[in-house]
Amino acid sequence: MTSDRNARQDAQDAGDRLLAEHASEDPFAAAFKATRMPMLITDPRQDDNPIIYSNRAFSELTGYSPEELVGRNCRFLQGPETDKAAIGRIRKAIEEQRPISENVLNYRKDGSTFWNALFVSPVMDASGEVIYFFASQLDFTEIRNKEMDLASARQSAEQKVQESTADLRAALEAKTLLVHEVDHRVKNNLLTIASIIRLQSRLTKNEIAQRTLRSVLDRVEALGMVHRKLFTMDDVARFDIAEFARELVTDVVGGLKRDDITMSLDVSTVLVPAIKASPLALIVNELVGDAVRRGLKDGGGEIHVEVKRLNGHFLIAVSDTVHPVPVDPEEQEMGQLMLETCARQLGAKIERQEQTGRTTVRVTLPVENIAEAGKH
Amino acid sequence: MNILIVEDEALLALELQSELEEAGHQVVGQAMSSGDAMELAERTQPEFAFVDIQLLDGPTGVDVGRKLAEHGIPFVFMTGNLKRIPEDFAGAIGAIEKPYSQNGLQNALKYIEIIVKGGATKEESDDPIPPPSLVLPSIRLGA
Repeated sequence: MTSDRNARQDAQDAGDRLLAEHASEDPFAAAFKATRMPMLITDPRQDDNPIIYSNRAFSELTGYSPEELVGRNCRFLQGPETDKAAIGRIRKAIEEQRPISENVLNYRKDGSTFWNALFVSPVMDASGEVIYFFASQLDFTEIRNKEMDLASARQSAEQKVQESTADLRAALEAKTLLVHEVDHRVKNNLLTIASIIRLQSRLTKNEIAQRTLRSVLDRVEALGMVHRKLFTMDDVARFDIAEFARELVTDVVGGLKRDDITMSLDVSTVLVPAIKASPLALIVNELVGDAVRRGLKDGGGEIHVEVKRLNGHFLIAVSDTVHPVPVDPEEQEMGQLMLETCARQLGAKIERQEQTGRTTVRVTLPVENIAEAGKH
Repeated sequence: MNILIVEDEALLALELQSELEEAGHQVVGQAMSSGDAMELAERTQPEFAFVDIQLLDGPTGVDVGRKLAEHGIPFVFMTGNLKRIPEDFAGAIGAIEKPYSQNGLQNALKYIEIIVKGGATKEESDDPIPPPSLVLPSIRLGA
């Protein structure tokens, strides 16, 4: 106890001597005392490098009076949450007598904490011996709290974004699954409908009933092909009517099993919105079907199919050189009805031309009628 | 040809069988699951098979295809979703996409017959033109 008191007295004496060297009107001493920045001075030549002087700002920051501070090593400002590594770096700098700045968590007299931007630098005399350490403190708790708040706000925002993204991904996955499931069912149902018609047409002995069923099957199959082509493309919102026409006419002509048919195609990719796919496809189907009924299936001949854009217009044309055979009036009427109705839906114009054994049916419509205005 | 049908939709299988028989083929059996398919394949030794990918026991058609290929039985897939077919087509000659048309099926069948009867490789046949209704592995890869 006695040696403690002695040490405290020594520190007090050193502080007093330091003050005595500076007259009260010394502006540097006055500044040190009056500044709002907490500062202190320690004496490394005394045992355990005690504080020999601290200013008012330091007492205000820490809650300790100058009397409580003098004679103590600064480590009493540390507490359980103080970063040991930072303390180690400060101790090492002091041992090596070089300046250091560190951010450390310190404790006030009442046990509350503050973030201290600490700066320590050695003070040397003329001979180069370190006679004092000067330390300034800056309470940056508020700044640090703001930074922490910001960081935590950012983190929580990031987390929210991550959660929303995960939600969206899950929703998209569910939607994709649903689309695939519906697509699968629609395709299966279309094929089931076609299969039922085929089975019935096989069973029936009545030629007219059979022809009627064939006629229905023909249109159902065309719609089936539309659906198949619609979902084969990566972009399910668009449909290549030219590719459809190529496959349809190749299928139909192949199905006739005749070697006296010459088929030619002049088609170039025309992408149309999915919503226009069915009427356009049915138009192609009716034009091809008409040529087949009028004689292609009975006596062969030439069939030429055009699907392309032409001067702001979209053209579907089928031209043939069949040897005409009588066509069942009901089938003729049904074909005509299908063609005209689909054309009306699309605002298309139908022109039929017959000359020197060649029949050409041209369906034209302004490109804007199949533009993507209604695309969603 | 002696043909095996692997399809879980009874109506579709029945119709396909009628179609094949009308074209002069014999259907040796209809299987609705992968187990049935392999059992029937072993027992009846078909010359060819139509294989749906979605079967009663799940999307097991691809496994059936691989096993058929191991046994040297040529086949095509029949599916509404070509994306479910693996990159190597599991040894299939090709795929007929559902919903197929009667013409499309007949054209594909004609081509398949030439390939199957013409020998194991396409080169040995007299270069038939594949119909658009039959998706070949090379076509899909090129697309």
